[in-house]
Amino acid sequence: MCAKLLLLIIIIIIIFTAAFAVAVTTIIKSIQRITHTAPTASFIISLTHINKIKEPFLSIRVCLFVCFFFSIPFCVTTMSRRGMDDDEFEEEEEEEEQVADFDEEAEEEEEMEERGFGGGKGGRKRSRSSFIDDDAEEVDEDEEEEDYDDEDFDDGKSGGGRKPKRGRVSNFFDEEAAVDSDEEEDEEEGEDDFIVDGGADLPEERDSRNVRRGRMLPHDEDHEDLEAVAKSIQERYGRRQAEYDEEATDVEQQALLPSVRDPKLWMVKCAIGRERETAVCLMQKYIDKGSELQIRSAIALDHLKNYIYVEADKEAHVREACKGLRNIFGQKITLVPIREMTDVLSVESKAIDLARDTWVRMKIGTYKGDLAKVVDVDNVRQRVTVKLIPRIDLQALANKLEGREVVKKKAFVPPPRFLNVEEARELHIRVENRRDAYGERFDAIGGMMFKDGFLYKTVSIKSISAQNIKPTFDELEKFRKPGENGDGDVASLSTLFANRKKGHFLKGDAVIVIKGDLKNLKGWVEKVDEDNVHIRPEIKGLPKTLAVNEKELCKYFEPGNHVKVVSGAQEGATGMVVKVEQHVLILISDTTKEHIRVFADDVVESSEVTTGVTKIGDYELRDLVLLDNLSFGVIIRVESEAFQVLKGVPDRPEVALVKLREIKCKLDKKISVQDRYKNTVSAKDVVRIVEGPCKGKQGPVEHIYRGVLFICDRHHLEHAGFICVKAQSCVVVGGSRSNGDRNGDAYSRFASLRTPPRIPQSPSRFNRGGPQNHFGGRGRGGRGHDGLTGSTVKVRQGPYKGYRGRVIEVKGTSVRVELESQMKVVTVDRNHISDNVAVTPYRGSRYGMGSETPMHPSRTPLHPYMTPMRDPGATPIHDGMRTPMRDPAWNPYTPMSPPRDNWEDGNPGSWAASPQYQPGSPPSRPYEAPTPGAGWASTPGGNYSEAGTPRDNSAYANAPSPYLPSTPGGQPMTPNSASYLPGTPGGQPMTPGAGGLDMMSPVLGGDNEGPWLMPDILVNVHKPGDESVGVIREVLPDGSCRVALGSSGNGEIITALPSEMEAVVPRKSDKIKIMGGALRGATGKLIGVDGTDGIVKVDDTLDVKILDLVILAKLAQA
Amino acid sequence: MFFHIVLERNMQLHPRYFGRNLRDNLVSKLMKDVEGTCSGRHGFVVAVTGIENVGKGLIRDGTGFVTFPVKYQCVVFRPFKGEILEAVVTMVNKMGFFAEAGPVQIFVSNHLIPDDMEFQSGDIPNYTTSDGSVKIQKDSEVRLKIIGTRVDATEIFCIGTIKDDFLGVINDPTAI
Repeated sequence: MCAKLLLLIIIIIIIFTAAFAVAVTTIIKSIQRITHTAPTASFIISLTHINKIKEPFLSIRVCLFVCFFFSIPFCVTTMSRRGMDDDEFEEEEEEEEQVADFDEEAEEEEEMEERGFGGGKGGRKRSRSSFIDDDAEEVDEDEEEEDYDDEDFDDGKSGGGRKPKRGRVSNFFDEEAAVDSDEEEDEEEGEDDFIVDGGADLPEERDSRNVRRGRMLPHDEDHEDLEAVAKSIQERYGRRQAEYDEEATDVEQQALLPSVRDPKLWMVKCAIGRERETAVCLMQKYIDKGSELQIRSAIALDHLKNYIYVEADKEAHVREACKGLRNIFGQKITLVPIREMTDVLSVESKAIDLARDTWVRMKIGTYKGDLAKVVDVDNVRQRVTVKLIPRIDLQALANKLEGREVVKKKAFVPPPRFLNVEEARELHIRVENRRDAYGERFDAIGGMMFKDGFLYKTVSIKSISAQNIKPTFDELEKFRKPGENGDGDVASLSTLFANRKKGHFLKGDAVIVIKGDLKNLKGWVEKVDEDNVHIRPEIKGLPKTLAVNEKELCKYFEPGNHVKVVSGAQEGATGMVVKVEQHVLILISDTTKEHIRVFADDVVESSEVTTGVTKIGDYELRDLVLLDNLSFGVIIRVESEAFQVLKGVPDRPEVALVKLREIKCKLDKKISVQDRYKNTVSAKDVVRIVEGPCKGKQGPVEHIYRGVLFICDRHHLEHAGFICVKAQSCVVVGGSRSNGDRNGDAYSRFASLRTPPRIPQSPSRFNRGGPQNHFGGRGRGGRGHDGLTGSTVKVRQGPYKGYRGRVIEVKGTSVRVELESQMKVVTVDRNHISDNVAVTPYRGSRYGMGSETPMHPSRTPLHPYMTPMRDPGATPIHDGMRTPMRDPAWNPYTPMSPPRDNWEDGNPGSWAASPQYQPGSPPSRPYEAPTPGAGWASTPGGNYSEAGTPRDNSAYANAPSPYLPSTPGGQPMTPNSASYLPGTPGGQPMTPGAGGLDMMSPVLGGDNEGPWLMPDILVNVHKPGDESVGVIREVLPDGSCRVALGSSGNGEIITALPSEMEAVVPRKSDKIKIMGGALRGATGKLIGVDGTDGIVKVDDTLDVKILDLVILAKLAQA
Repeated sequence: MFFHIVLERNMQLHPRYFGRNLRDNLVSKLMKDVEGTCSGRHGFVVAVTGIENVGKGLIRDGTGFVTFPVKYQCVVFRPFKGEILEAVVTMVNKMGFFAEAGPVQIFVSNHLIPDDMEFQSGDIPNYTTSDGSVKIQKDSEVRLKIIGTRVDATEIFCIGTIKDDFLGVINDPTAI
């Protein structure tokens, strides 16, 4: 005993002679083992409060960082001390110290070893009271703590957060830093027969904080009497033992949080890089000065530069303590708010569960960021062997091996490539065959080991990251050696599950068991415990619920489920499952209609429809961007860190993968260009491509840049529907304004509408397309309201400066202008517009445009909504109703519900199918029955011009009255109203003026009619009181036609006015004649109908063309 | 599946339609408004077949519009999971093909096409068996099974499969 005491004293001397801190706990442990006496040293840097600052709710364990006490020299010292006790252990311990890595697993193992060792010791020292052993054990753990402290502070661990700090035998540290160990550790400890003071301090806590505070201060110097020491220890720890089993509840944990009455934490600025030193200096000062110094602890955090924390009640105490320390200057002392105190010392856990086949990523070196697969783990030496795809430049390697000059290219990392041994040999690289410890054959080049082309590399655990590794499919695919069927790798996908978030499974999820006896059992999640998931199995006859380990479960989906991707590269996308391959789902994306491969784990069932990520930084899907090399393109897909850009190269689609930094800027200019026929094309105009590979496609222009148009065709599946063409290869269809070369513009089917003087047009078109003209008529009626309304103006000021548009409404001092280029209505100050734009030429087109919309009336889903809007048309509140017509929603090419086509336009038969609502209509074409209303209404512009009405605004405004009657019943306005018009003769009586007007139109239309009707086509002739089908034999110069009645043209020949005729709409597989466009006069076969377009096979050339149904007429049977 | 059901709708009618043809107008408007629409619950309204009854019209203050509650019979078409449908192929691409069964668009992924059928690109993209006996191309008629539906406000989109017994091409346009 005496000898031991002596030894103790020697140790203490060593401590004091050493200039800095001591691994006190270890020493204490040694002391404990030897003497059971408390050392007489009396310096304390206590961290009293810290055991209070646990945050159970965050499940973060608080680690105490007394790091600065535990520097390696001292550890070594203590090691040597301990070596007296156990040599065998020491080795390992030392190594542990050297490999400063810290790994949970390793620690646990070590701990167990220690425990074994402790247990043996316990056996040896059976005579001693058990609590002493416990204490010794505890100290062992404190050693681990040291390790922690050596470790980066970020590497703390998390756990249940319930384990209270451990007590310390020594008076050196009244309260020590509780090392938070995870649950398992707790359990193990619980199982063992020794005790580690779980909840040990709670009683004290309950007693009073003051008690502890009193005790905390260093006053036990004079424990000469060992007996007394033993007694005091027994007092302190015996009680703990008794109360060990008590688990701290959350509430109690809450109580441990620092309160206002506790000492505060102060942040003190110190020299950078001297944090530890400063803390040690403080300790030294404390040792020297003893209780004079009223601070309680000093903390240096490795991750916090330039500051240390000092715990004290008052700022003055801190100042006092810091006085004279050379590393502390500025005297800048900041109080850490109570709420943040816990954060200062809490650390996220890093529970690495490294197992074979786990996917990890390299943290440093050439392979930084690369995916690797763990093939072997050496927990003792803290090293892992990983399998990598080598990044080796064989040529460089060969050069190096042959001693040639190696030009060091900085920042050049060879791409990952499998090693080909033959290739290496060709370069005269020596490849040796070696076997490793397990007898596996490797190819060794230099110090590197290769197998199957993979590089096997042994690295420190510290240099890999195993947390949240989410290998992408690409990476896994690469990792899969060609030829390998990949079973192994896919199976190891399950290792991915290790990275699952908490709360991964939710009640009701469909799951499948992927491991164990119950493999392939399907079921539904009923309840989720920590690790176990209770599932309700699908198969009957099994218990109601089964508890299955979370890791044995995988979410289960069936083809057809609609799901949303919630994590991973495709995060946010939604789609329907088309295939399930083990843990991998193949989805068909809702938006792109493309296949996506995702892990079942990353997916949840959802009815939501989204596009996934559509934005990175400032750039969004469908943006036009300027790239680095001055090329440009449209973003057609957003990937995790890059964009797919359809380059602005017309004629051939070129897609580039572009990183964010390669994008210079977004192009957001409002430009307009001219199309083939010199029509102005601006964004949102619908254009049709007339040449090049995408000939025949059409869609709205999304972007214009340098004469290149980006068109979005919803029928185009590639490149997100984008087509890049030269503006020269396109013609505007409809669109905002086209007053170009009308005669040459075969494609603008509204040509005749665009120029008022030549307004008359084939009635057939109108009837067929719907009663579009009525809108014109209506608009006219409304114009009487305000001189400005309806006129084309230019915005002179404000954000829309330079835009031209049509006034649709005047509200006090503001005007609502429908911008021509944008299909958008904006409100502009009346003073900001100039209405002296050359209006006249556009007016016609306005009406033309008004009428163009209903050409596809059935296409627009907004259909129903029109009704209320339309109706006011007849009333003076007419203005409103025009808005929707030109509203983008009305744009016939905006996405629409295709079925409508089928139902109405494209499929007239379906209408005929309900004839009971069209009494009296001829069964053949019920809704194309002659509607006088349509007749007059179809030529509004013509009437104007013919009558010589001045075309300025005022005239419009003032002149409406004569024509107002022609807005009668308003019935014709309803698109498709034709269907019921026949049944409502009332329409006619109501429009007395209509007849007269009607008579005019054919005359006007004379010259314009010609292009439309042509010989040999089948027409419906509507003579008053007579309706029949006929074949045009001859088109007379005045526009009227000689028509042979009868479907084959063998009946009586009559002369009919164009307004009395309409071409018979061809049906699928009818022979047709093309009445307009470049192919006018050609015959062909209608092989399909797509909305308002007909797909025509031209007889002569056998070309397949897509043409407007309007210009197609059924050819009479010869 | 088609259903003949009775639905109700409040129709707003402009006063100018009042008169002896009011009912006709109402019906015409109803048909125009309703036919071809799609609701998630009922599917596509294919046709209005009759009017059950037209309730009393309520004149709305201010506008003069009259709201009639109209009960009408109609045929609706709603695709269901597991339903077998016949559809016409409208587009073929390497990911599969789109087909239409009336108003419903159905996508059949290449994963759901029998494995022995391979995609052949070219002028007329198609899926052909190795022996060339069966070919799916545009305008082919196929019998398929719906395995998933997605219902939007205005559209029903389905995923179908032909990877099952008795499914596949039932009428080949080229064979005629």
